[in-house]
Formats: sequence, structure tokens, C-alpha cells
Amino acid sequence: MNITIEKEDGLVTARLEGRLDTPASLEVAPQMESLHEDAGGTVVLDCGKLEYISSSGLRLFLSLRKAAVNKGGTVIIRGISNEIRQVFIMTGFLNLFQIDD
Amino acid sequence: MQRKRDHTATGISIQAGLMVVIVAAATLAATSFIQGYYSAEGIKREASGRAISELEGARSDIMDIVNQAEAAVRNCIWIAQWCLERTDSLYRVPERVVMDNPVVVGSTLAVVPGHRQDKPVLVAPYAVRNLVSGKIQILSLATEEYDYPSQEWYLMGLEDGDGYWSEPYFDVGGGEQYMTTFSMPVTDVDGQTAAVLTADISLDWLTALINEIKLYPNATSTLLSRDGNILVMSGDPPGENEKYQTYTVPVERTGWTLSLAIPEEDLFASVRRVGYIVRLLQLLGLAMLILILRVVTKNLKNLQKVREQKDRMQSELRIGRDIQMSMVPKTFPPFPDRKDLDFAASIVPAKDVGGDLYDYYIRDEKLFFCIGDVSGKGVPAALVMTVTRTLFRAISSHESSPARIVSLMNDSLAETNENEMFVTFFLGEMDLVSGRLVYCNAGHNPPLILTNAICELPVKPNLPLGVMSGFPYEEQELDFKYDDALFLYTDGLTEAENASAEQFGAKRMDAVLHRRRNSIEHLKAMQAAVDSFVGDAPQSDDLTMLFIHYLGKGNAGKGERHLVLENNIRQITLLADFIEDIGQEKNLEKSQINSINLALEEAVTNVILYAYPKETPGKVYIDSLLREDALEFVISDSGIPFDPTAAPKADITLSVEERPIGGLGIYLVRQIMDEVHYVREDGMNKLSMIKKL
Repeated sequence: MNITIEKEDGLVTARLEGRLDTPASLEVAPQMESLHEDAGGTVVLDCGKLEYISSSGLRLFLSLRKAAVNKGGTVIIRGISNEIRQVFIMTGFLNLFQIDD
Repeated sequence: MQRKRDHTATGISIQAGLMVVIVAAATLAATSFIQGYYSAEGIKREASGRAISELEGARSDIMDIVNQAEAAVRNCIWIAQWCLERTDSLYRVPERVVMDNPVVVGSTLAVVPGHRQDKPVLVAPYAVRNLVSGKIQILSLATEEYDYPSQEWYLMGLEDGDGYWSEPYFDVGGGEQYMTTFSMPVTDVDGQTAAVLTADISLDWLTALINEIKLYPNATSTLLSRDGNILVMSGDPPGENEKYQTYTVPVERTGWTLSLAIPEEDLFASVRRVGYIVRLLQLLGLAMLILILRVVTKNLKNLQKVREQKDRMQSELRIGRDIQMSMVPKTFPPFPDRKDLDFAASIVPAKDVGGDLYDYYIRDEKLFFCIGDVSGKGVPAALVMTVTRTLFRAISSHESSPARIVSLMNDSLAETNENEMFVTFFLGEMDLVSGRLVYCNAGHNPPLILTNAICELPVKPNLPLGVMSGFPYEEQELDFKYDDALFLYTDGLTEAENASAEQFGAKRMDAVLHRRRNSIEHLKAMQAAVDSFVGDAPQSDDLTMLFIHYLGKGNAGKGERHLVLENNIRQITLLADFIEDIGQEKNLEKSQINSINLALEEAVTNVILYAYPKETPGKVYIDSLLREDALEFVISDSGIPFDPTAAPKADITLSVEERPIGGLGIYLVRQIMDEVHYVREDGMNKLSMIKKL
């Protein structure tokens, strides 16, 4: 699992790559939490190369989303695969995030 | 070389013995010399004291008589003066002297010739006590023959105003005995010396007195006169060559000397006697010492021989044990290429040659293994052990039934068993493909099976090998699943004793086994536990252990797959591989595999994170059954009871603000799986899930 974060003109983009299973979520949690600082603006989670997500990954997404709500920002999820979309549907996450294709 | 060492050792011990004897003799001689010297000094001092006091006693007795005699004379001086005025009664003076004083035997008043013109020239009335009748006779010494004015007592008596004691003499005239005379001058009214008054005393009593001084049998006591004449002597006169200790005491007034001569012979007789006895005892002691030294030296020699023999025997035993130990296979891991078997064995022999054995090999995909313990110890046990191991190899090479192998081994051992030795033995044959274990126990302690729990392998006791020929041994079977293990040991493990004679015991053994490791680590951990328990106490018995960890797919059917994980979150990646394998086998699509993996990950994560208390190692067992139309999974753990299906269903319609962070895991499981059930069974949480295909 790998996350790369880019900041440009107030737009923060985090590129997620690989499998976000439980051990990976624990590993990248500090990086994801660092995004909370930018939650006042627009944070893009680029999931084009995200292969897999488990509930612990979803929790990281949700807590970022909650921070955005508090700070009046936006979290955009971009490029999720059908599989992950299914998970988002199952968990109702599809309604919680702005999903760009 | 051996002999030379012998001689040197003997030489050294003889030299040492000689030194001991010389030193002991010198010490004894020195002490007896010193003791003799000081006791002689002491005896001399003591003898001198006693002699002087004895002599002084005698002197004081003499002085008594002397003083009485002197007093008799002195008391009568004035009478003499008075009588000299009246010539007719002069005889009354000596008469009075004798009468009043029993010690005085005779007395005279010898008038100085010419003193009285009216009287004859010589006047000397003499009173003498008749020794027989006791009556007092009056005689006269004024005879021509006697001529008293020329006598010593008269002449000296005249001169010495204080009185004079004469040299003793033998009185022929009156007493017929040794006498001595005290004479004092009597002066007339004009101050002229007019007469001499005397008192004679007998010396007979002196003889008795001197004879009484008898401190030592051969002592000589002597009374010497002023002129050196011997007055009285008791005992024999001292010989010329004899050594004497002489003590003297002067007797005042008379000028006599009392002397006591004690022969040293007498004086030191007792010391000498004691000295003889002491020397005799010392010689006896030395003789004993020499005797003892001789015996000890001889024993030392024997002891050395015995020790050399023992050394030789021990080195032979050591070689024997090395040979014995080299007979059991000891390369670990023994089958490095096999993925389906994790095997380890160890034997730690006791100090003496012992009788434990183990052996193993793989033939036709079957693991043949055995463990055994020969009764007794030492060389006989080692020989039986060797025979047993050889029989195992020989018979199992062409026989496949454990009961048959054991029976044949038993018959062979029983036939030749003259020493009544027996072997507890366990033989197993594990089919590594199917996981089926066929085994036969011959009186050995039951091995332990390690599955989810630890329990004893059910064994028929049967009889140990070598007890009874023809005994019908029975075999038993058990199917091993992936990750099941078998632990075999000899009683050297459970009966290992520490210094306070406590035994290691099954509880301590179970505690070590409880934590799952690989086989070699298991045996190392067990050995470490035993070593730390036993401490410095000597190992009394061989300790042999076998650990067989089955990692094959097992016999449980083609569709079964098993995975065992530690309660460590990193192990989740192994689960992903496991599901991937299953998915590929069932030709599932990637998305479906990920979906199933998601459900399993959620369920397993739940166990890993919450089933066991923090820092406590635990296991998660994932058993799956690949059916034609569905996949079945059972996730089990022995952690705290928890039913995930009882958790409230997550509400996915809530807004961002309202959505709780957690609680999605079991929700996802329910969403993905078609059936989810929880049971608590045999102390385990079991979550079973079915995914229809």
C-alpha cells in the first residue's frame, strides 16, 4: 500500500495505490490523518490504483470526511473500481462522498 | 609409564611417612626433655622446702631442750651465789638444778680453786639423776684424776659470761651416755668469778629426733658439733660416688649443725619412673604411627590402582555412549525438502550409558518413527537399546503394520531376554499424504497430540517389549489435520528432578507445549525449561523427545483447506494468499475473490484484535470446504466468548455526522456471505459462513 500526497493551488490530491487491508490501514493511518489539516479545502482521494479496501480503510475515509464536514471542506473520491464501488454501495458510503469517475 | 608413576607415588608417600615419623619423634623428645627438666627443678624446690622445714622442726625441738637446760642453770645462779657464802650447802645448788629440771641429768657447781681459803682447793659437788631409780645422788668431781679445772666445760664456762655448750662427750663417770654440758660462771658479791655452774643433758633423745627426719628412704640426717664431729647420724653415710642434695640448718647457742643429705637417686625416683613410662608410651605411639603409615601408604597405592581402573572404565563407557548416540539420526531438520512435515528429535543422555532410543525415516511417503526406554541403566540397558533400534530398522523395512512390527520385535527381544530387561516402546507410521497415523504402543507413556488443545493420544497400554513372547499387540489410528502435532517423550522429561527431589511433571511440560512453535524450537524450549528447573542437580535419566508437526493437506477430503494464523494483524496477508488460492482453484473472478476475502478479513481481524487479551498469544483457525456450489468457512478461536452476529446492524442511511466510525466489519460479512452462524463449542468461538457460488 502506498499513498502519495500532492498539494497544488489549494487542492490536495492523495493517490492511493495497492490493497488497503487492515494491516495497510494501520500503516497509512498517520498519512491519512495528516490530510485532516487540509479538510477545510478540497481533498481528492485518487483511488484509480486502489485494488482493495476493507472496513478499516473505510474508517480512514470516513474520519477524513467528518473532518471536512467540520471545516466546511470537500472530499472527492476519484476513479474507484467497480469492486470498490460495490463496497461503497454496500456500506452506504456512496451517499457520503462525492464520487468522480 | 604406568608403572613408573606407581613407583614415584609410592616413593613420595614413603618419604612423607618418614618425615612424619621423624617430626613426631623429635617433638616427643623435645617435650619430654622440657617436661623432665622442669619437673626435676620443681622436685628440687619442693625437696629443699620440705628438708629445710623438717630440719627447722628438729632444730626447734633441740632448742627447746637447750633453752630448758640453759634456764635451769640461769635460774640457779643466784642460789649458787648465795650458797657460795655458806660453804656447807654448796651441793644443794646442783641438786636443785637436777631436781627442778627433768631434762637435766646432771649438774655441778665447780668452785674456782682458791676461791675459798677455808676449804679444799677443789670443790665440785655433782648431782646426778640415777637413770634407773630417778633418785638424785650427790657425788664430787673434785678428784685428782678428773681435775675439773682443766676440763673444757670448766675453762670455757669461766670465760663465757653468757654460758658455753661443751662438745658432746661420752660420760663414763656418771650417766654412761653421750652428754653435753652447759656451763655458766657464777660471780661472788665482789664480782669475782667464783664458780662454774653446769647442767648436763643426755643426747640420747637427739638420736631419736634425728632418726625421725626421714624424708626419703636413703636420706642421711646428721647432727654435727661445733668442731665438725658427727654427733648423731641416721641412715648410712653417703657413698662417694653418689650425688646428693644437701640441706643444712645451724642450731644456735650450741654451734651444732643439722644437715640432711638426700641422694638424687631418691629425689628423682618418681620423675624417673614417670619418664620411663612416658618414653615407653612415646615409643609405642611411634610404632603405631609407623604401622598406620604403612597401611595408609599401601591403601593409597590400591586407591590409585582403583582410580585408574575407574578412569579407564569411564572412558570406555564414554566411548560406548558416543557410539550409542551416533546410532540415532541427529540431522535437523531431517527432511528439509518436505513442506508437509516439521520434525525434530533430541536425546540428552544421562551421565551413565542409558537406554533411551528413538529413530525415524521416511519410506513410501510414510514416516516411520519410534521412541523407547529400556528398563535399567548402564551397559546392559545400552546393549538392549542397540538391539531394539536394530530390530526396528530391520523389521520395519519390510513390514508395514505397526502392530506386526512391534510383535516381531517383542518376540525377538523376549526370546533372548535373559536379564529380564524390557523396553517401553511406541511405534508410529504416519502417511504424510493422508495425515493418517497408525500406531502401536508397547507400555510407553502416551504421547501428546497438539491440536486446538493438548491432550494425550489414546493408547492401549499393551506390554513393554521383551516381557512376554507372543503378546498380541494392537494398533490404533488417528487422522492428522494440517498443523496437528504429536509430542513423544520418555519419562526422563516428566521425572527430571531438581535438587529438592521435585519432578518436572506434566504441568510444566504442558505449559511449554501450550505455545506453538516450530518443532526444533519446541524441543529447545522444553530442554531449556527442564534445565532451568533441574538447576545443578545431576541428570539421573536419559531425556528423549520427538516432535512431529504435520503440515500436509490431510485426508479430510479434497475440498478441505485449512489455515492457522497467530493473533497478529500482519498475518492478514497470509489470509489473502489463502483465499486467492481457493479462488483460483474454483476459477472465481477477481472481484468475487476480493469480496470473499473482505468478508473473511473482517471476521478474522475481529478475532485477531479482540478475542485474546492484549499481548497474549492465540490462534485463529480458518477451515474451509470447497463445495461445488458454495464455499464454507469456519473461523474458530479459543479466546473470550463473543458472538459477532449479535452486534446491532449498522445503519447505512445515516449522514456523515451521524455515522459511527466503526461497526462495519460484521455488517460487511453479513452483506457478502449468504449464511453466517455463530456457536460457542468446546471452549471455542466458531463463526461459520457460506458463500454460494
